[in-house]
Amino acid sequence: MKLLICIRQVPDSTTRVKVAPDGTAIVTEGITWSISPYDEYAIELALEHKDAAADTVVSVISVGGPRAKDALRQALAMGCDDATLVTGDGAAALGPLGIADALKSAVLELTPDLVFCGKQASDDDQGFVGPALAEALGWPLLSNVSRIVATGSGAPPLGLEYWRETEGGHEVWTASGPAVITVQKSEKDPRYPSLPGIMKAKKKEIPERPVAGEDPVQIEVVKLEPPPARGAGKILKDGDMKTRATELAKILRDEAKVL
Amino acid sequence: MKIWVIAERTDGTLRRVSRELAAKGAELGDLTVLEVGGDRVPAGAAAAALAERAAGDAPDLILVGATTAGRDIAARLAARLRRPYLSECTAVEIDGTSIEATRAMYAGKVRARVRAALPAVVSVRPNAFPLADGAAEPAVSSVTAGEAPGVSFVRFEPTASGGGRVPLSDARVIVSGGRGLKGPEAWKEVEALADVLGAALGASRAVTDAGWRPNEEQVGQTGKTVTPDLYIALGISGAIQHLAGMTSSKVIVAVNKDPDADIFKVADYGIVGDVFEFLPAFTAAVKQAKAGA
Repeated sequence: MKLLICIRQVPDSTTRVKVAPDGTAIVTEGITWSISPYDEYAIELALEHKDAAADTVVSVISVGGPRAKDALRQALAMGCDDATLVTGDGAAALGPLGIADALKSAVLELTPDLVFCGKQASDDDQGFVGPALAEALGWPLLSNVSRIVATGSGAPPLGLEYWRETEGGHEVWTASGPAVITVQKSEKDPRYPSLPGIMKAKKKEIPERPVAGEDPVQIEVVKLEPPPARGAGKILKDGDMKTRATELAKILRDEAKVL
Repeated sequence: MKIWVIAERTDGTLRRVSRELAAKGAELGDLTVLEVGGDRVPAGAAAAALAERAAGDAPDLILVGATTAGRDIAARLAARLRRPYLSECTAVEIDGTSIEATRAMYAGKVRARVRAALPAVVSVRPNAFPLADGAAEPAVSSVTAGEAPGVSFVRFEPTASGGGRVPLSDARVIVSGGRGLKGPEAWKEVEALADVLGAALGASRAVTDAGWRPNEEQVGQTGKTVTPDLYIALGISGAIQHLAGMTSSKVIVAVNKDPDADIFKVADYGIVGDVFEFLPAFTAAVKQAKAGA
């Protein structure tokens, strides 16, 4: 079975993101870039499948500028078999629909059985590329998958159950053919690259493909700002815990009006 | 201005977010509320049916609740129509032939105002728009989706801890616990408080990673971003990834024994002290306050 994982390079989750002076971009200087967290979970789910079925080939692909190669190398070091960078003028600035178009042409050429994406990338957090790619390919979409369970009833993609996290529980689905899977945080943390993995990844060639074309739609960033600062709150100090708890309940009911 | 709202039901009842959007949609223009008939219709089939209808109706703006199913439909529909999609917005404004929306980026660390040309598809977070008490139920027309080959729904596995509680992403009150609660046993008291408040349960990443609570309850980056009216953080220190997921709550209460905990920087009301002393005292106090005392 051939699995293709679409990944995005984003500021590492520990980054304190700062808005640039012009107010429409973030300060990129000094940022550590990583694979977007949900994409890492997607890699982990795919590699778990490979651990169980050795004939699985796990490929990664990213649409972006030259620096996205580092994310692909990180994925190779985790254990992915091969990587492709879709790049060229404007690749780094491409919006979700443009990215989905670029990925579609790659999918048609690489012919994976399943395509994985993180449920959203923690830069624009749109959650658009996965569903848009499914739409472009005319494939079903299984979103928010946090678990894939092999039931043993048939060769993949049959015999796999996809657990989709939804409100109040999980919907369990099966697929009879190719599908786009978007991945939610799964039970197992993504594995760390091993030292031999890192050495191997360094030597691997990462082929490049050109981006397909222009962005079909434009979304303009009018203004970025830090989340509204919350004023210093009121610390309830007087009396014992019972008194303070009672005061808090009254404030929430009468002043804040949220009870 | 033609506004579409794609509505969703839970157990036959229109979801609150759908009613919030219908109220907002009626303010913005000429409102049509649609739902896709059937249970667990795959997003591809739903989007195809809606796109066909949109070809005739030509809506300027399509509003969808940012629920698990809603986000899929909104995104596939926008992709199918090849129109802009703005996801998980918390405010929208129409400005002539374009829409300006407010949404979170960088896992909640940045608030963005973005603009796109109409027609556009927008998903909106629950609790972003007010819903007047006793607001009338909007009239809903049903759209029939075609076949959806390739995937089949097998069964639903309810979360063991769910117990009929409101889903975290829809909740107007959330009681959330962190490492300061010391172990899974403490959730008995947390649940008792949540019951009195009609609240959903949340947790910090430390708690879900330790296996004290299921992943679904995690608030923050790689978990849920929530915007309730009231967020009560118990024994949560306030790591940046957690804060990113909850600082847009309307009112934040923090209880922590460490007066320097970062959570107090975003809290409207704080109590420095023992969370185990606080829990029973506050549960009793809420009961009394709700009874009018």
